[in-house]
Amino acid sequence: MPAIRVRRAVVALVALAAVYGIAAEIGRERLPNRVWLGAHYVENVQLLPTLRSLAEEGAFLIESEILPSSIAVSVRRVLIGLVLGSLVGIFLGLATGWAVRLEYLADPWVTLFRFTPALALLPLYVIWFGYGETPKILLIASGVAVVTLLGAHQGVRSVPRAYLDAAASLGAGPSLAFRKIVLPFALPHIIASVRIAVGLAWVTIVVAELIDARMPSLGYLLALSGAYPRVPTMLIGIATVGLLVLGFDTLTLLLHARVTRWMRRTA
Amino acid sequence: MANDLLAPLEAKDVGYTYSGATSTDALEGLSLKVADGEFVAVLGPVGCGKTTLLRIFAGFLRPTKGSVHCAGAPIDGPGWQKGYVLQEETIFPWMTVRENIEFGLLAKGLLPPARRAVCDELLGLIGLSAFEEAYPKELSAGMSKMVEVARVLANDPSILLLDEPFGALDSQTRARMQDALARLWEQRRKTVLFVTHDAEEALYLADRIVVLTQRPGRIKAQFAVQIPRPRSFETRFSPGFLALKRQVLEAAAA
Repeated sequence: MPAIRVRRAVVALVALAAVYGIAAEIGRERLPNRVWLGAHYVENVQLLPTLRSLAEEGAFLIESEILPSSIAVSVRRVLIGLVLGSLVGIFLGLATGWAVRLEYLADPWVTLFRFTPALALLPLYVIWFGYGETPKILLIASGVAVVTLLGAHQGVRSVPRAYLDAAASLGAGPSLAFRKIVLPFALPHIIASVRIAVGLAWVTIVVAELIDARMPSLGYLLALSGAYPRVPTMLIGIATVGLLVLGFDTLTLLLHARVTRWMRRTA
Repeated sequence: MANDLLAPLEAKDVGYTYSGATSTDALEGLSLKVADGEFVAVLGPVGCGKTTLLRIFAGFLRPTKGSVHCAGAPIDGPGWQKGYVLQEETIFPWMTVRENIEFGLLAKGLLPPARRAVCDELLGLIGLSAFEEAYPKELSAGMSKMVEVARVLANDPSILLLDEPFGALDSQTRARMQDALARLWEQRRKTVLFVTHDAEEALYLADRIVVLTQRPGRIKAQFAVQIPRPRSFETRFSPGFLALKRQVLEAAAA
């Protein structure tokens, strides 16, 4: 499955590049090269940069280390936020799913936060934690925690009663039943929620970096290229984010396939 | 008699009422005693409280009236001594056949070599040695049910509670599974309470048949099945079998 996915992605990218390349060549002479930016015109803007200028811009961004360092900063934030948020969310989801009393305790908080976009917390987090890494990582972690909490909770709750009865009849205590019945059953639900959380984490970080554009990062690169404006940089930034999300998504899919081997016929 | 006190399973005047928007009386005034090593089949229509009775013996429900005892002690929860095969499919799909069968032994804290030995023997007994590393997805419904029975037997419980284990199978597979269960029982001599709505199945397997009424379930009739063992395909067509089958069906329909 992953091999097919990769091949499809490559085919799609090549096709996209081809269509874009043709469109850019056609548009080169015909499109205006100045844009009105509210107060003044900006000259020499390539609305549809050709593949050639994209390649030149890409080479520059890589050689100057702007792109690699931006990727490193954003990926680091997403990874730390994802791990932190998942750990908290999965732990709380398992706990509230398994112990009914905890659910009553956690329910109001979950209800409050599941309908609050994590991004709405950005100004608050900046006031609480200052600028820099902490508010951004915590922002991602907050969103991820809510999504994975719901996934883990749902996973635990959907364990069929009959499995737990059978386990109890076979002499399993609560701890063994949790490890060998509840956890394996909930795991696919949990990974599925992590997959949703990955998308959410990237949305959150790009927007957060656009708003608080200080450090070199992918959001900063996009914000900067918008300010100049510099369309080739913009397009490369957008494509980079897209490819990174695709990569992250593929990794979680692989993980999902790994933990659901028992659902497929070929073992 | 001392023997009476130690009946492996005993229900005294048991009643069970499901509370809810409409409270349902599932069982009423039911008394039943199962002797050591006896194979008792409980026969009754759908919804007569057979499963409720079994769940009470298994320790998942407390009777709302009367009491249940296991070898003289009140039943106060589930445990491996009362091997319980549910009506639903409960083979754990994320475990291999071997892991399923060894689950109870793992719960008991047995070490892998000891678990392996027990599992190997049972796999041989149910004829699924070739499937030890397979996941349940690859098994047929009949094979899965046999693994569930073997999983319970691995614990070597003195009592087996079987809730229509072959209810979802086609008649051919069902007959094969009945033979397999009869063989297992003849080798291991457990006390068995077997719930079914199939009179022929009850006759073929049991020493005694208890017929329940419509809800609320109580005992309507009892039959001793004195048909020699081992029973076979021929048994199902023997005059004695057919005569008793007629009586049982008449009692059930009455």
